Amino acid sequence: MDGLVFDIKRGVTKDGPGLRTSVFLKGCPLRCAWCHNPESQSPLPQRATTGEVCGKQMSVDDVMAEVRRDAVFYKASGGGLTITGGEPLAQPEFAAALAAAAAGEGIHVAIDTSGFAQWKTLEQLLPSVSLWLFDLKCMDAAKHRELTGVDNAQILDNLMRLDAAGARLWIRCPLAPGLNDTDADLAALRGFIAGLRNIEKTEICPYHSLGLEKYAKFGMEPRYSRREGASDEDKARWEALLFPEKASRNI
Amino acid sequence: MDYASRMERLTARKIEQTRAKLDKLGARDEDDYGLVLPPASFKVDLPVRDATGQWSGPRAWAANFRWLMENHPCYIDPDDAIAGRWMFMLSRMRLGYQLSRSNFAFDYSHLEPLQKKYDITTGIGKDAHFAPDYQIGLDLGWGGLLEKVRAARRKHSAPTALSVLPQGRAQGAALADPYAVELLDAEEQAILGVMAWTRRLAAAADDRAMSEDDPGRRANLEEMARVCYKIAEAPPETMREVVQWLAIFNMASRTYNRDGAGGQLDELLRPYYERDKAAGILNDDDAEFYVFCLLLNDPHYYQIGGPSADGHDQTSPLSYIILEAAGKLKASCNLTIRVWDGMDRRLFRRGVEILLANRQGCPRFSGDKALVEGFMHSGYSAELARRRIAVGCNWMSLPGLEYTLNDVVKINIAKVFEVAFAESSSLEELEANYLKHFRAAVDVTARGIDFHLAHQYLNEPELLLNLLSHGPIEKGMDVSHGGATYYNMAIDGAGLAVVADSFGAIEERVVKEKALSFAELKAAVAANFAGEDGARIRALVESAGHYGAGGTAADRWAVRLTEILNAEIAGRTTPDGFKLIPGWFTWADTLRFGKAVGATPNGRLAGEPISHGANPLPGFRKDGALTAMAAAIASVQPGYGNTAPWQLEVDIGLANDADAVEKVMALIEGHFALGGTLVNINVVDAGKILEAHKDPSKYPDLVVRVTGFTAYFNSLSPAFRQLVVKRLIKEAV
Repeated sequence: MDGLVFDIKRGVTKDGPGLRTSVFLKGCPLRCAWCHNPESQSPLPQRATTGEVCGKQMSVDDVMAEVRRDAVFYKASGGGLTITGGEPLAQPEFAAALAAAAAGEGIHVAIDTSGFAQWKTLEQLLPSVSLWLFDLKCMDAAKHRELTGVDNAQILDNLMRLDAAGARLWIRCPLAPGLNDTDADLAALRGFIAGLRNIEKTEICPYHSLGLEKYAKFGMEPRYSRREGASDEDKARWEALLFPEKASRNI
Repeated sequence: MDYASRMERLTARKIEQTRAKLDKLGARDEDDYGLVLPPASFKVDLPVRDATGQWSGPRAWAANFRWLMENHPCYIDPDDAIAGRWMFMLSRMRLGYQLSRSNFAFDYSHLEPLQKKYDITTGIGKDAHFAPDYQIGLDLGWGGLLEKVRAARRKHSAPTALSVLPQGRAQGAALADPYAVELLDAEEQAILGVMAWTRRLAAAADDRAMSEDDPGRRANLEEMARVCYKIAEAPPETMREVVQWLAIFNMASRTYNRDGAGGQLDELLRPYYERDKAAGILNDDDAEFYVFCLLLNDPHYYQIGGPSADGHDQTSPLSYIILEAAGKLKASCNLTIRVWDGMDRRLFRRGVEILLANRQGCPRFSGDKALVEGFMHSGYSAELARRRIAVGCNWMSLPGLEYTLNDVVKINIAKVFEVAFAESSSLEELEANYLKHFRAAVDVTARGIDFHLAHQYLNEPELLLNLLSHGPIEKGMDVSHGGATYYNMAIDGAGLAVVADSFGAIEERVVKEKALSFAELKAAVAANFAGEDGARIRALVESAGHYGAGGTAADRWAVRLTEILNAEIAGRTTPDGFKLIPGWFTWADTLRFGKAVGATPNGRLAGEPISHGANPLPGFRKDGALTAMAAAIASVQPGYGNTAPWQLEVDIGLANDADAVEKVMALIEGHFALGGTLVNINVVDAGKILEAHKDPSKYPDLVVRVTGFTAYFNSLSPAFRQLVVKRLIKEAV
């Protein structure tokens, strides 16, 4: 079973607990305005203006050979494999085979997804995925379509099903100033999350502009080309709106 | 006089002293050592020097050392618990001294052509770099040591004395042993010098007390004086006396020849701490302050925690007190926590917490499992292996039992590779030639070690470390010449990543991909990658998979180079029969080694620095993955009890992570589980370091772990700072 992989990062400390290896699968059905990995969008290998090719066909065994290298660190830190993208569920068979292979070796598997896939794709991953890093971008359906190019109904439905199935969930909210961060946006996110039962953690992923260089590198046009990342004020405001309990504790 | 404000004042003075050293001595890519400048009016006027500014032999060293001790300025700080600072290195006062090449009274020009050919740091004439057993001194005191020396002298001046050379030949049978007599006379002079200095420190503290208005400071100075008067002769009995005793020995030994090895500090101090606590004359704050002063006095290498000889955990309340004292010290500090299966994990955790919070590269961590298994591989018992502790930059030593030349004998394998590459026209040939030349390099290095061991006792005897070793005084033999119990002579390889990447690039680009021919590559390397074609070839080889990336040809070559290192060094002896132990380490010599080597096939330009220790080169992976680095460095451990340290830089981003402590612990433990031996670790604020590099005066208190030692960043030379910056910025996540 081959998949199109555009990067493998080791020693990752952000995508789930402990020290992890993140495997980036190429191809994403969403076109988020703030996307900082534009090279991950196309489901085909892509040549940069510098000549390097982004995306490589790899077998599950190839990927597992890389993943295994840090097994001792997963064990020591409670880390493991994170399958990310792109949208990993856009290569459903490969993602499932990789997750099953890692889980079969006792490696903790997290999947970092937009949730935009058929429920059966998520369902078949349930036995091997220990942690879902699930993006929640915007509750307003029209705005979601405008910002990401896709409807959020299926995403929200999948999230509720995962929650009902007792999956371990971390919600990640990518927030970009002026795009999806009105008071109403954040109140809606908060309200929806509050209705779920198995949310272990909710994280804000603030917009940063490091992806802009990559648009140029791959001859692509960003939809949202703000040069400055989210400010400390933005972040503080988001925190206060999304986690009012925490904010009141801090005061 | 509360301890917090005293610590603050002592730290502020330390920073002033560091600035003064920098102004006077210029940048130095070395340990801070704790030395301070002598008063401007002080003149060194050594009694023994020949017309060329040299001296050698026990008598001459003793006379010069005694003069220095008897005249050494007496530094007293009314806030300090300890009297004295050291100011001179006698071993560097011989005319023409170079750090990389010691003065040596015996001609070894017959070895020099090959030593130069392979850019070998020979160790000939190098001193210290093995560990004292402080317990000998703490039990006897200077007075007891003096008696021991005098008794041995009587024995050796009797006409029936016999001495046995390391090779087993009897010498001077039925005659008095003239060398033993000279050595023991010299030891006596050295002790008398230290005693005189200690008494002068006592008197200086007394003087200072008389002019001190503040009652708290006055009481402290009076106590300082009392302690020094007492320990000038008698063994120490209290916690305060023992830290003063250790500091006196350390400063004297530094003054003699820069010796910086410490010991298992928690266990050394524990009896005094427990006794004082039971007697109600000491609380934990007092103990912490005394240790703080000891650590401030001199950045000797101490270990805490780890297993005792019989395998139980040595962690005690004192281990924590030492760690907390180190945490409060805003200065260079070289404390190692030994990580092992049976350890008190709270000590490990607390160490990592302090490391992340302080960002001063302290403490560092050693891996018991691989060290013990490795030393057992070298033929020693588990009990001895556990007693072999972290007391140097990259090295372990058996306190008082072992002579090693640790960290001062190095083969620049980038140079060996260069010689081999010039003679080769294919990868197979290159490997065979590398093997041939590495063997020749080891051979001449081993002969150099023999030459040192045959002559050093006449050149520069270890007058201070002999006193705290088991054997030299009793046998009347210098520790470098039959006095020690064990001889485990260290040879470190330097330049691993440069050579592994060079082999890897050839395998990938020339052999597998045929993107260029061996001859083309050779021509480009010879031309230092000049011209358009050179630049193209350089880009091609530079982009080949690096050592450290995991699964690359270069990774396999790094392991192969370690096999070669082991095959030629481990389990072998010098021609005179001294055991050799391999390691990978460059110390702070990456610049110097690099200057000796032309361009290399990994794209490195002529004269550029070589790689650091066992580390991969900066840029070894795009993601700079610390786990990849940890796994790679674990894969190249020689495994005979000496180290191939991991120089680890942790970016401040990770340090701020909510689970940072757990993650750093996991990195260290994972590395040790894979066979790692020592982690020299820095937590880095890349922005601050970049700013400090531009304007060093901006952060006078910025301390970084350069390698095994830490140093004030602003004391390093610009070229060396650049190297640290490059390493930090590229390797940090």
